[in-house]
Amino acid sequence: MKLSAKFLIISIFIIPMVAQAQMPHDAIYMGKNQVCVAGLYGQSSWNQYWENTLKRENFNIGTFTMQSVTIMPAIGISKRVNVILSLPYVWTSTSAGNLMGQHGIQDLSAWLKVKAVQTGGFSLHTIVGASIPVGNYVPSFLPMSIGFQSRTATGRLLANYREPKTGIYVTAHGSYSWRGNSTIDQDAYQANDQVYNTNQVQLTNTYDAAVRLGILRKDWQTEVWAERNACINGDNIRRNDMPFMTNNMQATAVGWYGKVQPRNIGLNARVGYVIDGQNVGQSTSYMLGLLYQINFRK
Amino acid sequence: MKKYSQLLTIAILSAVLSVALISCDKSISEPQRVGYTPGSLDEKAGTWKTYVLTAPNDVTLAAPASTASATYQAELTDLKSKSASLSQEQQEAVVYWGAGAVYRWDEIARELAARYNTPSASNADGKYPVPDAANPLADPKFPFANPPYTARMLAYLSVAQYDALVATWNYKYTYKRPSPSKVDATVRVALPTSVLPSYPSEDAVIAAASYTVLKAMFPGEVPFLDAKLAEHQNSRIWAGMNVASDLVAGIDLGNQVAAKVMAKAKMDGMSAANNQTLTAGMVEAAKGRGLTEVWQSQEIPVRPPMLPNYGAVLNWNFDAATKVKLRPVPPPALDSPEFAKALDELKTINNNQTREQARIANYWADGAGSYTPPGHWMRTAANAANEANEARYSEVRMARTLALVATSLMDAGVCCWDTKMFYYYPRPQQFGMKTSVGLPNFPSYTSGHSTFSAAAAEVLSSIFPARTDEFWAQAQEASDSRVYGLIHYRFDCTAGLACGKNIGAYAVARSKADGSGL
Repeated sequence: MKLSAKFLIISIFIIPMVAQAQMPHDAIYMGKNQVCVAGLYGQSSWNQYWENTLKRENFNIGTFTMQSVTIMPAIGISKRVNVILSLPYVWTSTSAGNLMGQHGIQDLSAWLKVKAVQTGGFSLHTIVGASIPVGNYVPSFLPMSIGFQSRTATGRLLANYREPKTGIYVTAHGSYSWRGNSTIDQDAYQANDQVYNTNQVQLTNTYDAAVRLGILRKDWQTEVWAERNACINGDNIRRNDMPFMTNNMQATAVGWYGKVQPRNIGLNARVGYVIDGQNVGQSTSYMLGLLYQINFRK
Repeated sequence: MKKYSQLLTIAILSAVLSVALISCDKSISEPQRVGYTPGSLDEKAGTWKTYVLTAPNDVTLAAPASTASATYQAELTDLKSKSASLSQEQQEAVVYWGAGAVYRWDEIARELAARYNTPSASNADGKYPVPDAANPLADPKFPFANPPYTARMLAYLSVAQYDALVATWNYKYTYKRPSPSKVDATVRVALPTSVLPSYPSEDAVIAAASYTVLKAMFPGEVPFLDAKLAEHQNSRIWAGMNVASDLVAGIDLGNQVAAKVMAKAKMDGMSAANNQTLTAGMVEAAKGRGLTEVWQSQEIPVRPPMLPNYGAVLNWNFDAATKVKLRPVPPPALDSPEFAKALDELKTINNNQTREQARIANYWADGAGSYTPPGHWMRTAANAANEANEARYSEVRMARTLALVATSLMDAGVCCWDTKMFYYYPRPQQFGMKTSVGLPNFPSYTSGHSTFSAAAAEVLSSIFPARTDEFWAQAQEASDSRVYGLIHYRFDCTAGLACGKNIGAYAVARSKADGSGL
């Protein structure tokens, strides 16, 4: 059996950053008493992955696909403070082999986004987030598992400059995420070349960094981006073995994002492609979203 | 700016709170094992029946120097200086090895099995290279420590440990040299002591016997094993438990026994276990008995079956004729109502596997990258003996327990492989089932998990009768797990359990007649 781990990318990395309309990593805010609800469909697939550093295919997987639908409300507390929630339903499948697809509700995420500094076109934002598993899914059956059954907490600093006339902007952000231990069904497992006699799996912390360049107008937005998501450390997928939750998963991805929202109703879309990685699948992903903005005026 | 700083404060506070909620302590705790005084010294163990040795004096050991001799006194002085004050690292080594020498070497063996339990990748020609013992660290690594390999490895390890300890007990009570702290009360000891004679050192015997077997089984791990061997011996000095000549004698005795055990291993038929030229005849024979669809590898590219001739390897507790008698009756014909019923059960799970079914399937999966089902049951056996609070096991009784279980597990593996290749029965995946645990690459009937588990449960229930229900519940769950994981029909599992129980009974019969009185 050999599988891969693009899964990781999707489940813990891409889903939180799947959409960008008032997302946890942009400089866009809902006004006070405004709520924007996004309904997102995402798909991510790969037919090659990095087993440690070895790029390979796997005939017993063929193409791995992970799909999700996510509900993601962004709530304007004030025009400088937003809260964003997200809850995905995820399902996986392969085009070859006999591994059983997994499906279920994944993890609930909550983000608090605060515009801390605004000077002219420049702004600085502090963003904190946390996630907690909701579904009782199996975390250790990689790459089919839909998540890691781990609590996370993320701190993010985001800087943005937007030229007011043209709407051209550049955004850069970096984050550090703590990940709590996961409990698996087995009471022993191998990691780091040793056997652990416990059902507790220590997940390493992660970081991300990204730059985005785009144009943001009143009704629309277009952006190209590059992101790096990686574990702080971890072990590697053993030769021709399954990936495991302790693997040091790393990925660098590039992509495009766009949004059109002329009225209350809008659409957004995102495509991404992993250009380099380790212990992850080389995934191509896309996302389509329907946005609906509600104004609660008192 | 004041407003901004307020916002910043809120943001920072939230961040701190989130982190605090998660709790930064991510350390993982595993059960801790520490040294103990056994309930019995098993003084008569030198007379217990051995597996490979015909008698304890098949191996020889010269009489030690008397404790009054200058030689011994010099060793004692050396021991006192080396055990007087320990570094943190030395203390940790003492505690680690003090938990039990047999226990630790069995644990090391299971860890090695897990590290070597990965099948080879296919190459550009669509072939699967065979691991090469002469080049063990190349890709694919040697060995592929799959369940049959691991069962055999653990059996030879446990037999070597047990036979060596029987010989050790014989010489201990022949020479009756007391342990250093009984000779000189000023020796500082770091572990519980007893009146067990200390020449030869049982720890050194176990270390040498285990080292020799594991070096043969995992030839790429010599540096790793060298370090374990050295640390184990040193830990006995640091703990004030053995003088140098206790250890030298133990290494010598352990080496002698392990050499005899590995000589037997070379002749047991394992070298022909991967004889793939036999499979065509096996397929024809199964078809000749009326099987309409034979097992086929579901891997891409098609992978040759795992060790198709492992069923011909020598058993421990019965002969080849008995093995054939133990072989279960034929599985249902593929067009029978019984088969349809079994497949229907799988279809239901395939459509809607419950979380509890997934949990059980995962708990017992013991697939690639694990120490395999034999490793799982050896862990259960070692922990049972280590945790037997009312009468904790001496090294020789621990070794006896593990040898009974391990030989039975290997017997189960051999019988199950004989059955699998005899019937060559197709897997449920040939009828459209998926799997949540990974599909083993060999025929379906009977279930290896079921056979291994029942054999182990039968032996363990005899040794620890108070825990009989618990062991059988575990065996039943391990067996069910293969249905829940969708890789076995129910009848594969029930037949495997019944056969495994019969196999285990042979080890139980041996245990009643091995002179231990246990």
